[in-house]
Amino acid sequence: MLLSIQNLSKTYKNGVKALDNVNLEIGTGMFGLLGPNGAGKSSLMRTIATLQKPDSGHIKFGEIDVLNDQLSLRKVLGYLPQEFGVYPNFSAEDLLDYFAQLKGISSKTDRKKLIQEVLEITNLWDVRKKSVSGYSGGMKQRFGIAQLLLNNPQLIIVDEPTAGLDPAERHRFLNVLREIGANHTVIFSTHIVDDVRELCHEIGILNGGSILFRGTPTEGESALQGKIWMRIIERSDVDDYMKNHKVLSSNYNPDNTLNIRVFSDVLPNESFVPATPNLEDVYFVALKNDEK
Amino acid sequence: MLKTIFAFETKRWFTNPSFYIYFAAFFIIGFLVMASALGYFDAFTVTSTSNTYYNSPIAINSLINGFSQLLNFIIPTVIGATVYRDFKYNTHSVLYSYPFSKIDYLFGKFLSGMVITIIISLSIGLAFLLASALPFANQDLMGPFRLWAFVQSYVLFVIPNIFFIGAIVFLLVTLTRNVYIGFIFILILLVLQIVIGQLTENMDDKFIAALLEPYGQEALSYVTKYWSVEEQNVNDIPFDKAIVLNRIIWTGIGILAFLTTYFTFSFSQSPLSLSRKKAPERVIKNNFQSVLKVNLPKVAFDYSFGQNLKTAFNLAVIEFKSIVKNWIFISIIGVLVLFVIVSGYTLGESILGTKTYPVTWRILDSISGQFVFFSQILIFLFSGVLLQQSSTHRMNLLVDSTPIPNWALLFSKFLALLGMSLILMLAGILSGILVQAYYGYYNFELGVYFKNMLGLRTVNFIILIILALFVQSLLRNYLLGFLTLIVVMMIPLGLRKIGVELPIFHFNSSPGFDYSDMNGFGSIRGFLIYKFYWLLFCGLLYGLTLLFWRRGIFSGIKDRFKTAFSRFKAPIALLMFASLLAFLGLGYAIYYQIAIANPFITDKEQEQRQIRYEKDYKRFEENAQPRITDVRVNVNLFPKERNYDATAYYVMVNKSDKKIDSIFMNYQRNFRAIIFNKENTLVKNDTALRFNIYKLGRPLLPGDSLQVEIKVANQRNTWLEDRSPVLENGTFINNAELFPNFGYQDSREVVDNDVRKKYGLKDRERMPDATDMKARQNTYISNNADWINFEATVSTSEDQIAIAPGYLQKEWTENGRKYFMYKMDKPILNFYAFNSARYDVRKEKYKQVNLEIYYQKGHEYNLNRMMTSLKNSLDYFTENFSPYQHKQVRILEFPKTGGGFAQSFPNTIPFSEAVGFIAQVDEDKPNSVDYPYAITSHELAHQWWAHQVIGANVKGATLMSESLSEYSSLRVLEQRYGKFQMRKFLKDALDKYLLGRAAEWKTENPLMYNENQQYIHYNKGSLVLYTMSDFLGEKNFNNVLKGYIAEVAFQNPPYTTSIEFVNHIRKATPDSLQYLIKDMFETITLYNNRVSKTSSKKLPNGKYEVEIEFNVAKYRTNNKGKRVYEDEPGKSISTGTDKKAVKSLPLNDYVEIGIFGEKTKKGNHEYDNELYLKHYKINKINNKVKVIVDQKPIEAGVDPYNKLIDTDSNDNRKSI
Repeated sequence: MLLSIQNLSKTYKNGVKALDNVNLEIGTGMFGLLGPNGAGKSSLMRTIATLQKPDSGHIKFGEIDVLNDQLSLRKVLGYLPQEFGVYPNFSAEDLLDYFAQLKGISSKTDRKKLIQEVLEITNLWDVRKKSVSGYSGGMKQRFGIAQLLLNNPQLIIVDEPTAGLDPAERHRFLNVLREIGANHTVIFSTHIVDDVRELCHEIGILNGGSILFRGTPTEGESALQGKIWMRIIERSDVDDYMKNHKVLSSNYNPDNTLNIRVFSDVLPNESFVPATPNLEDVYFVALKNDEK
Repeated sequence: MLKTIFAFETKRWFTNPSFYIYFAAFFIIGFLVMASALGYFDAFTVTSTSNTYYNSPIAINSLINGFSQLLNFIIPTVIGATVYRDFKYNTHSVLYSYPFSKIDYLFGKFLSGMVITIIISLSIGLAFLLASALPFANQDLMGPFRLWAFVQSYVLFVIPNIFFIGAIVFLLVTLTRNVYIGFIFILILLVLQIVIGQLTENMDDKFIAALLEPYGQEALSYVTKYWSVEEQNVNDIPFDKAIVLNRIIWTGIGILAFLTTYFTFSFSQSPLSLSRKKAPERVIKNNFQSVLKVNLPKVAFDYSFGQNLKTAFNLAVIEFKSIVKNWIFISIIGVLVLFVIVSGYTLGESILGTKTYPVTWRILDSISGQFVFFSQILIFLFSGVLLQQSSTHRMNLLVDSTPIPNWALLFSKFLALLGMSLILMLAGILSGILVQAYYGYYNFELGVYFKNMLGLRTVNFIILIILALFVQSLLRNYLLGFLTLIVVMMIPLGLRKIGVELPIFHFNSSPGFDYSDMNGFGSIRGFLIYKFYWLLFCGLLYGLTLLFWRRGIFSGIKDRFKTAFSRFKAPIALLMFASLLAFLGLGYAIYYQIAIANPFITDKEQEQRQIRYEKDYKRFEENAQPRITDVRVNVNLFPKERNYDATAYYVMVNKSDKKIDSIFMNYQRNFRAIIFNKENTLVKNDTALRFNIYKLGRPLLPGDSLQVEIKVANQRNTWLEDRSPVLENGTFINNAELFPNFGYQDSREVVDNDVRKKYGLKDRERMPDATDMKARQNTYISNNADWINFEATVSTSEDQIAIAPGYLQKEWTENGRKYFMYKMDKPILNFYAFNSARYDVRKEKYKQVNLEIYYQKGHEYNLNRMMTSLKNSLDYFTENFSPYQHKQVRILEFPKTGGGFAQSFPNTIPFSEAVGFIAQVDEDKPNSVDYPYAITSHELAHQWWAHQVIGANVKGATLMSESLSEYSSLRVLEQRYGKFQMRKFLKDALDKYLLGRAAEWKTENPLMYNENQQYIHYNKGSLVLYTMSDFLGEKNFNNVLKGYIAEVAFQNPPYTTSIEFVNHIRKATPDSLQYLIKDMFETITLYNNRVSKTSSKKLPNGKYEVEIEFNVAKYRTNNKGKRVYEDEPGKSISTGTDKKAVKSLPLNDYVEIGIFGEKTKKGNHEYDNELYLKHYKINKINNKVKVIVDQKPIEAGVDPYNKLIDTDSNDNRKSI
């Protein structure tokens, strides 16, 4: 199903423009929403998840007018907020049963069946009797996924779910998401480019409340073909390069020299060599362009 | 570092809006309360008056400390949570790595919390200051301004209380990291006060209670409760031992708590937990395999209304469990159950130390108040906790994005709270039943329990729950919501203060309900209608709650309103419209009933009417009226329908020496018609004051008579209320309620001089002087008649017995109704009543007198006791006073809903079911009085003291009725039980007298000039007459009474006065004791007797020599309680000239000195073992006497039985 967002704007009381005329269409599959902290990702996701009202704009999911028919959306929505807690002293099983009820599953046996399945998917079956409030960060995120799956959602929104997970946890988590994303619309926000690269066939780059880029990772990369250059420089030269070139990224080498990547339509000078654009370059170019 | 932490914390508060909200809230409420007390709103309502100043130190202190109780609720967050907060926001892990010491950290945090709380508490004092300084205040209600009073109140009470409560809460919250625990402590403190009050209620010396009660108010009351009006107005709060000790104890506990915090706190990061640690478990990661397939089973989703309802119930169960597992709830239930057990232990002991049987209503009476109070508190609290639950645990976004509708969430919380209050009520019922069973009482009236606790009170809770959910849903902070709710509940009080008196404007108002064994719950129709009315209002609130329901994230108030508007759609809008419509409709219907069909008279209008009565009609005061000589009454009572009608046939005679041309009549709402047998015209018909003037066609000449027929019937009962005193079972109506009276009635005048001044009327006293010959033309019972011939026919339903004074002449059934005809053989006072109920009867004949008790089946406990009292009293009174004028005595039980008293009509004594019928008398128990016996005797004594000797309607009249009846019954009681019941009775009398004078609203009069003042004529009266007879000898004193009766019994005007009576006593009193008459009857004289030192040594002959040093001092007071130490010649004695010197009136007084040995034991009880008791003549303040006794002395005392009026009766005895 198609999620279409039109002219979505939201300004907070303190004057921050969280969403600035956002237009976006997202189809089935994994959609990665990339952006630095404070870019407006969470605002956008909460708005889609009916938890927050925009000042203006429209959102449609399939036939559902999200902003006016919140209940219909919630029936097909799976949402995992960036940060959440749970009632203390509730086991995963009980808490999932609680959510399953909230999500309208009336039959007890249905609930039981489903809960068992989502616990297995998220590999929480062994700890299902343990209190969720005592879970480690990764387990808690997996629990978040488990609760999200309960209503077999058509639209899944996960807000920076990988933050703070160890590599194995993250890996596993992304696998689960990928599997779900095969048949559903999944919006996945992150500020980690790697997450998106591994997972998403479509991305959007958001900053300052605006969409800066929208397309597949390959599209983004090929658009930069021949425009990314790299070289090794001394630390002391950093300032000069920063001033004179569009430096996208700079990484230390073990010998204390720096690898820099630069965006330029033509070869900046002979010391640079061409580089193959990657998704990170797409991200930084988008952000850089927005700075102007 | 301490400074930095303190400054940081304090600054944080100053930037926090809740600080300003608390400050403003306390300031505003404090200001309004004081302003209303000081008469700011007198323009809207009745005039505020008071005998005591609202800004006296003691009044200021009591108000400030009252408010501080509310302040305690913010202590858990302000002081308790300072350390906890660092954990909550996870700053502790950073913070604790900084280089400061534990003491800096803890003390800095605690101190800043203290300072903030104190600043908030100052708002109350400031509000009072401002209210009393502004020019709207009525200066008559205020004494001089004294800043010292505020300083004292804060330094002695408010600040130490904040300190010790703060320290304990700080300890609890810091160690457990749970703000709830602090809250529990505050609530437990509340209950503790009540429990201590209960446990120590019957203690002789409340010193222990004064030390135990944590707020110091009991200690203050221990010192000041007997202060006279004058002393309350001028004295500072005393630095008395009790107060200082109390403060030291509790401040000490505070310090201890803080030290405990210091020693147990460590910067380590796990909170104290009461539960056992689980065995450690090694955690291994085991999640490396991948999921490659997600195949969710197909399940059915159901979003129907029915399913949502079911979900709401399921959620309610979860929420309910979270409440009952909550420590606040568990502790409150625990403490309440403890409270029930304690109250079972002292059940009913407030009446002269004697318990009552634990009948169900008695249990409910003593416990339901606490259960209801705490249910309300918990509803106010948990409504917030439940509403904030998901966001407190940061789960709100997960919940909010599910398809559960708002109404289901709200409904689940409503159900959970309802479940909580039901559990509380069930706990009350269960513990009540346990108490009953424990005391061997097995008649558990489950119907009564359920109807009361699960029915009527629960209706009330439903309303409160909906209100609480509404208020709490608007706010984010449940504590703020809690305080807001308390303020909201006070709004009706405020409305009344500004003259809005119609109950339809007072949230949750309704007529009360009360239960009696005789009449059940009576009619609760009005209660239910009003509650239904407020439930409709709650429908509106429920709708509003849904409109403003917090779901997701609001970005401000505007957003919230916008959302609310967008939600205003069919189901909610419909609910709201329907509720509003029904609410307004029913509201108008009630309004029509209470304000239009019958004009609603506000308190202010009532005051103005009273004034107008005096201004318009006082000129008729001198007009003589014919006096009633013969009364024949037909009364028809309809208990089922709760109606009555009655006709009175009077013969009235012009006993004056003037012609009477007009009849002035005061009537009531029940008045239907009056027919004179002489031609007359109605010349004045004042329906507002219900005052008519009939002009007679031909004047009534002296000696001529007039026949009058008066018809009355209750106002018709309406759908809203029954407007009749007739009860389904247990009617009790007297003639004053039924029939009009004649002539200007000065009893209708306003008596308060402050109010009179406002309306330009001269000051008046409550009763005329004893020398007023015009006033002496009337008895104090009636100014319409002297002695009347009386007969009555009373009809009632077939299953009831109806009774009126007189002898039963005839009894018949007609048209399914019972008729009883009664006739008096002798003239009686114009004072009679009608009773009707389904009675069981016990009859005996004793020396030609028929003794009958008409009682409610099941109340047989004390019938024998009452019978014996009747017999013993008849014997004592006939022997010592005069013959009994009747041939029968009848005691008639009436429901406790009509009051808790007994009243003596001619040979007929209505007697409340609450006083005596269910008393559980322990005859051997010292410190408890057989009051069924005593009250019966008192009421029978009235057949002499009122129905034979009746005082004129002047000051002191009740000395010859109430005081003498008390005296008579005391002697009968003493004859049966001996001295030990006297001590309790007299001590109780002294206590009530001293408390009574402290609460006097006008003037305290000497006994022989008392103006129908209960604490004087009952309490001081019994003490004085008993003591006087003790000095003169019982026989001598009774001979005085005998002589007096012979002189004045059944007399015609002018009626006797206390002057005549006291002169009889004076004649029988030797010169050396004449001072007693001056001290006890003619003036207000109080002793201050005290044993200062005692010692004893064993003599060679085996006897003991006891040496007692004691003080005797006495003083007089004026009618406001100002002390005077000089007699009329201006003489006074004193122990010195310095400040500590004891002053006294000159003494030439006889005072008893007593020595007591080892208490004698009988069963579980201990009795005084009097070794020695003798009067000593005392003429100086400091005295020392030596006494030789046979047995080992244990205790010595001056006036050890408290026969003299002594301001402090607890220091009269001292152990040796």
